[in-house]
Amino acid sequence: MTSFRIRRPGVRINFDKQLSFSFDDQLYAGFEGDTLASALLANGVRMLARSFKYGRPRGIVSAGPEEPNALMQVEAGAHTIPNLKATQVELYDGLIARRTSGYPTLEFDLKSFGGLFARFMPAGFYYKTFQNRKLWPKFEHIIRQAAGYGRAPAEADPETYDHSHRHVQVLVVGGGASGLLAALAAGRAGLKTVLLDEQNEPGGWLLSSPQSMIGASQANDWLQTTIAEMQSLPNVEVLTRTSAFALHDMNLILAVEQLQDHLALAERVSNRPRQRLHRIRADNVVLATGAIERPLVFGNNDIPGIMTASALTTYLNRYGVAAGKRVLLQTNNDHVYQGACDLARAGCEVVLADVRTRINPTWEKRVRAAGVDLRTGHGIAYAKGGRALSGAQLVKLDAERNVALGMGPFIDCDALGSSGGLSPTVHLYCHDGGRPHWNEAKLAFVVPATGRAKSGIYCVGAVTGEFGLQEPLEQTQQTMRDLLSSFGKTATIDAVDVQTGEPPAILARRVFRIPDGKREGRGKKAFVDFQNDVSAADIHLAVRENYRSIEHIKRYTALGLGTDQGKLSNVNGFAIAADALGKSIPEVGTTTYRPAYSPVTFGTLAGAHADDTFEPRRYSPMHEAHVARGAEFEPVGQWLRPWYFPQAGEDMHAAVRRECLAARRGVAIMDASTLGKIDLRGKDVRELLERVYANAWKKLAPGKCRYGLMLDENGMVMDDGVTACIADDHFVMTTTTGGAARVLTWLEKWHQTEWPELDVYMTSVTDHWATAAIVGPKSRDVLAKLCTDIDLSPSAFKFMDWREGAVAGVPARVFRISFSGELAFEINVDANYGHHVWEALMDAGREFGITPYGTETMHVLRAEKGFIIVGQDTDGSMTPFDLDMAWAVSMKKPFSFIGKRSLARSDTAGPNRKQLVGLLTDDPDTVLPEGAQIIESSDAAPPVPMLGHVTSSYYSAELGRSIALAVVRDGIKRRSTEGRNSLYAYARGKAHKVKLVSPVFVDAQGERQNV
Amino acid sequence: MSEPVMRSPLCAHHLEGQARPIDGSCGVWANELPHQGYISLRGNSNDQAFVNAASAALGLSLPVEPCTFIASHGVTVLWLSPDEWMIIASRDQTSPLLASLRNALQEVRSQVVDNSGGYTQLVLKGAHALDVLQHVSVYDFASLQPGRVVGTTVGKSSAYAFRKGDGFRLIVRRSFADYIWRFLARAAAPYGLGIAETREASETASGALSINLALG
Repeated sequence: MTSFRIRRPGVRINFDKQLSFSFDDQLYAGFEGDTLASALLANGVRMLARSFKYGRPRGIVSAGPEEPNALMQVEAGAHTIPNLKATQVELYDGLIARRTSGYPTLEFDLKSFGGLFARFMPAGFYYKTFQNRKLWPKFEHIIRQAAGYGRAPAEADPETYDHSHRHVQVLVVGGGASGLLAALAAGRAGLKTVLLDEQNEPGGWLLSSPQSMIGASQANDWLQTTIAEMQSLPNVEVLTRTSAFALHDMNLILAVEQLQDHLALAERVSNRPRQRLHRIRADNVVLATGAIERPLVFGNNDIPGIMTASALTTYLNRYGVAAGKRVLLQTNNDHVYQGACDLARAGCEVVLADVRTRINPTWEKRVRAAGVDLRTGHGIAYAKGGRALSGAQLVKLDAERNVALGMGPFIDCDALGSSGGLSPTVHLYCHDGGRPHWNEAKLAFVVPATGRAKSGIYCVGAVTGEFGLQEPLEQTQQTMRDLLSSFGKTATIDAVDVQTGEPPAILARRVFRIPDGKREGRGKKAFVDFQNDVSAADIHLAVRENYRSIEHIKRYTALGLGTDQGKLSNVNGFAIAADALGKSIPEVGTTTYRPAYSPVTFGTLAGAHADDTFEPRRYSPMHEAHVARGAEFEPVGQWLRPWYFPQAGEDMHAAVRRECLAARRGVAIMDASTLGKIDLRGKDVRELLERVYANAWKKLAPGKCRYGLMLDENGMVMDDGVTACIADDHFVMTTTTGGAARVLTWLEKWHQTEWPELDVYMTSVTDHWATAAIVGPKSRDVLAKLCTDIDLSPSAFKFMDWREGAVAGVPARVFRISFSGELAFEINVDANYGHHVWEALMDAGREFGITPYGTETMHVLRAEKGFIIVGQDTDGSMTPFDLDMAWAVSMKKPFSFIGKRSLARSDTAGPNRKQLVGLLTDDPDTVLPEGAQIIESSDAAPPVPMLGHVTSSYYSAELGRSIALAVVRDGIKRRSTEGRNSLYAYARGKAHKVKLVSPVFVDAQGERQNV
Repeated sequence: MSEPVMRSPLCAHHLEGQARPIDGSCGVWANELPHQGYISLRGNSNDQAFVNAASAALGLSLPVEPCTFIASHGVTVLWLSPDEWMIIASRDQTSPLLASLRNALQEVRSQVVDNSGGYTQLVLKGAHALDVLQHVSVYDFASLQPGRVVGTTVGKSSAYAFRKGDGFRLIVRRSFADYIWRFLARAAAPYGLGIAETREASETASGALSINLALG
């Protein structure tokens, strides 16, 4: 408990505004500007997690998105969010945080008990142990509890999310020094520019090094001036708290903006989204994504109190928190020296172990002047401590080879920071397939400074391996000159003075794992990936077990598979694997970088596609009429259609029986507006119909309608419907409700690509026409009350005729067609009058007991007649012949039709195909489940040859018994062969005896529709 | 028998009852412009006979430049594709337009379809109208110039959009209108959504409409 708050000039903390928060039910205080991590550190909280496999105590390691340990469950109830990194959670008053690991408690973790588990959990532990799939579910529950990670909220999310689509000329990702300069250049040139930065304020590393100079300005002043200028430019937008997490083809960048996460729950604006997904199309992308410092790998390097050196510096300089009184720093490079000076000047005792023997003389002078105890040629063999760090054993290293020459002194310390160099944040650059390349001098996987200029992707700063301040700024000036010249603009940032006075860096030493004089696996555990407990020894073990590809080693050991996605660990892991494999790092390469860079909430991805706007819900023009009559609705594709109209006390079965009988014996009415309708015009429409339908159209006269089956190239039924001839060159086609868009596309495709010579235009009129179908023996009487200008007499207006006239005072097309086998009229009017005509029909039909019905009754009525529903009784493998509908196929048409040739294929034309039949159960009250399997005998012991299945099944009120349609092998011949027509339908553990019959159950002669 | 009454696609939202003059109290103002006539016209842009005949019938020159529209004497003609246009007019103008188009195009490869029941029009105005469109659509509406029209997505549906005056117009399909309205309203909520009183809306809402649209 030796970390402490220290009030330094330049920190980004507002000490005038104190905030209180709780962690694991303990109350603490912090300040405005803190992250949850900095506030916990300031309060001396060290251990706040237990490790994944071994239950080892863990503390904060970083100050950014790379944090592997400090995963928090923030807030409770519906607002709770699991696995947030404490380093990224902005503190607000009243924040509630809890640990996500430690089972049963943080203080006492079962896994750590006696090191019992550690011995038995090598790399590939799960693969080796849980090979028995049946047992896995039993273990899984316990393992999940023990492993840690937070809990998803159990309640509905009370907050909202949205999306925003942006189109910019220049998108700059990363608001560090380079990114700011790049955005300034684009902004000054007048280009539409957006700068994204994931933190609460732009600045990047400058916020951690307030003493840095750019030209004549100190970092904070430079930031203030630069940001103020950008805010004054109307063409520049700076989005903070916005993390770019994916870069896709054509420069589509996805970024999540946290709009309210930093506010106390009570302060959040209720109608404002919590997070916003930005989908940004950018002509040019400037990646200024910076770099993340990786630690060195040494024994016990996971004890709470051990961090990256840059994290120690950031906590000191940005948040005013010293992580310890006695600080040990370890490095192989120059980057930690400024931090060492700052810590020493802040009053810490600082020991700096540099593994190099030859070091930078300027820095040597500066750290010694600051009072730092500098030990060159030394690394850390292992750290000591349990729940908090107590010291570290130094090891003396050979000047050239990475071997230990013997132990050095033991250093007492309560904080330890190590730096193994910087790993550029190359993720976005690599999301659309690019790979970074290894720069041996910089010891880093970098992206080219030239980016992919052809695609408009430029890279500046640390991501390219330029790790200082002056060189990246100069590089940014050059890059922006190139970028702006592509717009014919000149950069006006050349005048920006980027002299920093920093000493030129000297080469880092190529070391990743500090040697401790022991064979790998024998010394103290040295962790590479903290979140998944992957040690250097695990990687060596994977290689010994003959894993050669880094992609396999990653998956076998779980290296980089955590929520931090290996931001700290991957490069160390690749290098250790390379050494174990005896290969170079470029030969080993990297794993694949995939979106998302950091975790994104499901809410953000969904945005406004939730609740009643999750999916388009399409409504018929008569919808309100159905609502008023108490209809129950069912979705049919995107449409919401009346399902049935229950009266008081009726269940669905009772309602459907009543509706069916009304249609068969009186009059009933259905809303058929959702059927697809296509208006076709041109002198070749008839020819087009001949080619896209299986049947003939040449002789269909104006005023007449015809049913058609549409086949795909394989001769399989893909849609059906009635088409009316309006005039010789004018037809209106109806399609199934779900097939409307598909059929129009299909017709356009054939017309545009194969038969452009046909004089045809087609237009969807689905939404234009409202359609009411009045059905039943008394339907003519109803229509007669509303329509006086059409001769409705059976001789003048025959079955399959259509007439034009006025219905209820509205111009209408009336089709005498029937999907029930009864006398029926389908009345089509302009959809704006649909509701009026529906109500007029209800009024006119009242004396006849007109009964509205929905899709369920429609299904029963058509099944009683053996009329198919494409997609229910067919499944894309049924020909017209399989459906016993040879009457709807004309093989004699002069020009072929789509699917014709396929009907002659040996399998399509061969025997033993599944064919549509009717089924009658022995027990008339048994309604078979749809999908029931048709089998030969009642003995259902497997294996049972499957002959077919039930496609439609209902109770028929008209017949007073159940009926079903089924597809059965060789069904058409079977049904008329005594002895073969008795089969079983097996469902839900029961075999029902059934008889194969004709699918036409009612009015076999088809007389009723002609009356 | 009651007089025929038209019901617009968004009738159930009772927008006219909530409409008020646009002021600074809301960031976004929207409404439906109901009961207009819509004609789908198909033909070949490169067929001069078609273009001439259609232009003569419409009394304006058919826009053949991609993504443009022309509005004159109450008739708006949107270019939708090289062989498709949408003509928007008042209901009263629609029947004569249909008749004159059919008459003029009798001998020309073309199609004229009354689609008046199939579409409706939404108006979107206010300081944050552009922000709302940015939320709901992938298209760069800031770049949409006056006189240009674009067909694009709105959430999981689609619309034709163009600028009119200081606002935007969206032409949407009837059956998707409810979804699109809800989606727009949801996006507009953080800015404050007002139901705009519109000249066009008040005109059509008040008068009884004659029904003389032709079929065929």
